[in-house]
Parts: sequence; structure tokens; C-alpha cells
Amino acid sequence: MKYILMMNGTKAQFSEYAKWSKKDMEANVAFMRTFGKQLKDEGVFVATEGLGWPDQAKLVRAGKDGAPITDGVFPESKEFLAGYWIVDVESPEQAYKIAARASAAPGPGGAPGNFLIEVRQVLGSHSDLGL
Amino acid sequence: MKYILLMSSTKAGVDSYVAWSKKDIDAHMAVLKSINKELTESGDFVGTEGLARPDQAIVVRGQRAGMPITDGIFPEAKEFLLGYWIVDVKTPERAYEIASRISVAPGPGGVPTNMPIEVRQIVSLSAKSQ
Repeated sequence: MKYILMMNGTKAQFSEYAKWSKKDMEANVAFMRTFGKQLKDEGVFVATEGLGWPDQAKLVRAGKDGAPITDGVFPESKEFLAGYWIVDVESPEQAYKIAARASAAPGPGGAPGNFLIEVRQVLGSHSDLGL
Repeated sequence: MKYILLMSSTKAGVDSYVAWSKKDIDAHMAVLKSINKELTESGDFVGTEGLARPDQAIVVRGQRAGMPITDGIFPEAKEFLLGYWIVDVKTPERAYEIASRISVAPGPGGVPTNMPIEVRQIVSLSAKSQ
């Protein structure tokens, strides 16, 4: 079963992160690198990606002529995806345990960040939705 | 440059999708499949995934003993990721163009959903920390 573990944050939370000291950021990034390597060694790793800053996010719709209309206006409460991991595991509980490890990534001063990680199953095919 | 095209919706939005007729859902999926095929042929395609329904979403935090604390409670306004496409394109404009095609995939009665698609660049871990 594939699960996606997502880190989300509002613009305000991203701004807080941008204020971390260089040392704190480096410790966080080093943790993330090691975590990715551990997941590979454990045989559960499928993919991971980090996304650009929310201030570069665009919302796209099609105009009447089919040309894209872009817009960068979001409500303040909007949660932006910061990054994700996809893991292939035997049970949801295993995915939650991995998410708890990501949650404990170091924050300011090296204390565990206790970040919220959203966990969702990835569908094998559309029929998995049961429609 | 890699871009991720995110399709998101609230629980209410997902409930209305689930209420579409089978014919409408099939027509919608057929268009998404043909877009994937075209992106593969044009060399822009990197990956796509669909996610399970929001009512199965869980939020996890670690606790001191390292065991997960799980919770399935979200604010009503919470937007859940439904699925995404990753494309590797030369310009952001090309990513917007692809997003707008996904946005006009047919909804109920064949009318374009006009769903907004969020477009974000994918960065490496080292670039993000700058």
C-alpha cells in the first residue's frame, strides 16, 4: 500500500521558517537527507519532493479561449504543500510511524519540531475510490 | 524545470464529485487519461498520483516515545489534495498551459469543471534552504 506523507504550512508558517538561523535550517535539512536515506535502506521509499515557496504559487484556470488565466491570490488560511514523501508499506500504522519520525525533525534550537504530517493513501487506480 | 500541478478540494467539493453520474465521471477520467498520454508523448510527463478520499486523511505528530499520535479532525475549510501531476517543462507558461487543460476537463453534463489548479515549482532540498 502506498501512502503519501505531506508537510503543509500557511504563508505565516513559511515566514517563520525563513527566520530560522542558518544552523537550525542546516540541522533540519541534514535530518531530512538522513531520513530519506533511512527510508531507502528500509525498502519503503518511493519518492520525495520539496516545493518552491508559496509566494511563487499560481492558481490556474482556463479562459474562454482556452488560454490559461493565472492568479496568485490565496486566502490567508490557505495551507501550502511544502513537500512530501511517498512510502510503500504493509499497513497504515507503519505509515503513521514513519510520519511520526518526520514530525520529530529538528526545529529551532534543535528541539523536535513536532510538525503536523498529513497521511493519505495513494490510489493504485481510480476504481480504488469505489465510484 | 519541474512543476507540480495540484488539484485540491474541500470535503464538500469531494462529496459533490462523488455524486456525479457514472457517465460524467467516465468522461472526466477519459480526458485526464488522454492528457497524461499526450504529456508522455511530448516528453513533459514525470508522474501523477491520485489520493484516497479526505475522510481517510490522518494527521500525525510524533511524541516523546517516538510513537505516532494520530487525529482525523480538520477544519471545514481545509483543502485536501486530490491528486497531482509532475511535469518537466522549459517554462512556467508551459506548466500553466497544461494546468489550464486539466482545469477544463469535463464535469457534470460535459461542462468544463473550471477547477483551479495550483502550480508550484519543485525544488531540491538544498535550493529550498536558501
